[in-house]
Amino acid sequence: MSADKIVVSGFRHFFQSDSGRVQATGEIDVTIREGEVVTLVGPSGCGKTTLLKAIAGFITPSEGQILCDGKPVRGPGRERGVVFQELAILPWRTVRKNIAHGLEIAHVPKAERDRTVERLIGLMSLNGFEDRYPHELSGGMRQRVAVARTWAADPDVILMDEPFAAVDAMTRLTLQEELGRLCATTHKTVFFITHSVEEAVFLGDRVLVMTKRPGTIKAMLDVPRPGKGGRDWDSFTGDPEMRAISEQVMHLVHAERV
Amino acid sequence: MMGRIAWKLLPAAPALIVLFAWWVYWTIVQPPPSVIPSILDVVRTGAELAFGGRLAGDIVASMGRLLGGVAFGMVTGMIAGFIAGLWRPVADFFNPLVVFFNAISGIVWLPLVIGWLGVGNALATFLIWNTVFFIIFQNTVLGIQLVPEVLEQGVRSLGGGRWETIRSVTLPGALPYILSGVRSGLGFGWRALIAAELVGATTGLGQLIFSGSEYHRADIIIFGALLIGAIAMLMDRWLLAPIERRTVVRWGLVAASRGR
Repeated sequence: MSADKIVVSGFRHFFQSDSGRVQATGEIDVTIREGEVVTLVGPSGCGKTTLLKAIAGFITPSEGQILCDGKPVRGPGRERGVVFQELAILPWRTVRKNIAHGLEIAHVPKAERDRTVERLIGLMSLNGFEDRYPHELSGGMRQRVAVARTWAADPDVILMDEPFAAVDAMTRLTLQEELGRLCATTHKTVFFITHSVEEAVFLGDRVLVMTKRPGTIKAMLDVPRPGKGGRDWDSFTGDPEMRAISEQVMHLVHAERV
Repeated sequence: MMGRIAWKLLPAAPALIVLFAWWVYWTIVQPPPSVIPSILDVVRTGAELAFGGRLAGDIVASMGRLLGGVAFGMVTGMIAGFIAGLWRPVADFFNPLVVFFNAISGIVWLPLVIGWLGVGNALATFLIWNTVFFIIFQNTVLGIQLVPEVLEQGVRSLGGGRWETIRSVTLPGALPYILSGVRSGLGFGWRALIAAELVGATTGLGQLIFSGSEYHRADIIIFGALLIGAIAMLMDRWLLAPIERRTVVRWGLVAASRGR
């Protein structure tokens, strides 16, 4: 059994709006162990992004606490990398400079920085685009840069908030396979939010299902680990066990229709 | 190929149309030269001024004051804009003051400022600063507030601190608005400069125009106006546009004009 990396206990969050206090989430307890990929699927507005932002340290929980390696989270930090749903790479940096940014901040020597960037450019199939600016890339390419940037900074935990929601369906399949491979080869702790059941089951070692707003964790399902090198969609769709898990998650999510 | 050349020449077309209309009007109506001079008169006067001595000195004097005043306004406007843009309470504190003083034209201060600073470059610098500062300040604050928060969050989760987010996110993110402020600031800076030179200088294009008005020389006035407009256009094309091409256009934040 691996050590607990992220422990969320008694978490509840409220937003202050013009019409008063709005409850964003119900009470949530989640533990993410080192090296596992946990996916969270839930209806829109259930508070899944709120939970992720709290783990990232962008918002302070109204109630409860969040521990990372046993220490309370008090703000964003480089040990918790984030891949956002909207485009968060910097338009004024080239692909190479975007990917290297975290290493620059950490004052990693140039030679080592270049090696890491080269490796990730290869892993994310960005060869030939190193010196382009983000506006010159397709949506899928930009998200690849965002993923590579986060991985390059080498955080302990990677938080991903529907990173592929805005790319077209074909590209999404490729990106999901690439991400699966990246997770399998780098053994990172990953927390991945989505509203796609298939995506959650495909990528997760464990799938959490959330209720509708104010969301709580409704169910937790283990998914058998893929072999070395991650999954691919062909074998995934052909696998009866995977289909059964997907169906089960689908039923759980379906009951939460808004 | 033809298309590209046509696009390059397009900016010159309005000027040619105006010149042509001027020529047609002048040929038909034949107005007295002190009301509207002919193109030829203006060109001749321009040549006389250029070769006869004072023009080069006037241009240098005006440009020096303009660049000094605009640079001063830009630097102070950006610094104040960054402080107000990054700290909300500071912005709330200073906003009423900025709105208040922004409404008061430099000309209003003129009689007082002549007493304080005397007649000379300090006066021109103050008047230009008084217009440029507010434009740059407000554009900088707006630019900073419009930088998407997610960009900053991204850098913070890469381990970037306050200074790193200002340097790598806020500054380049606000640049399109700052540059747009610089563009308006240069234009309004010219206006303030000429006003300052009319009353408080012995050299400069404002004085050249003032001397023209004293002797009812419409040709000098129009030549001065054309010269100011032309210098402003050249500065925009050769100073500001290249900076934009290398930054905000290159980054895809602002669409490039097709002619460039």
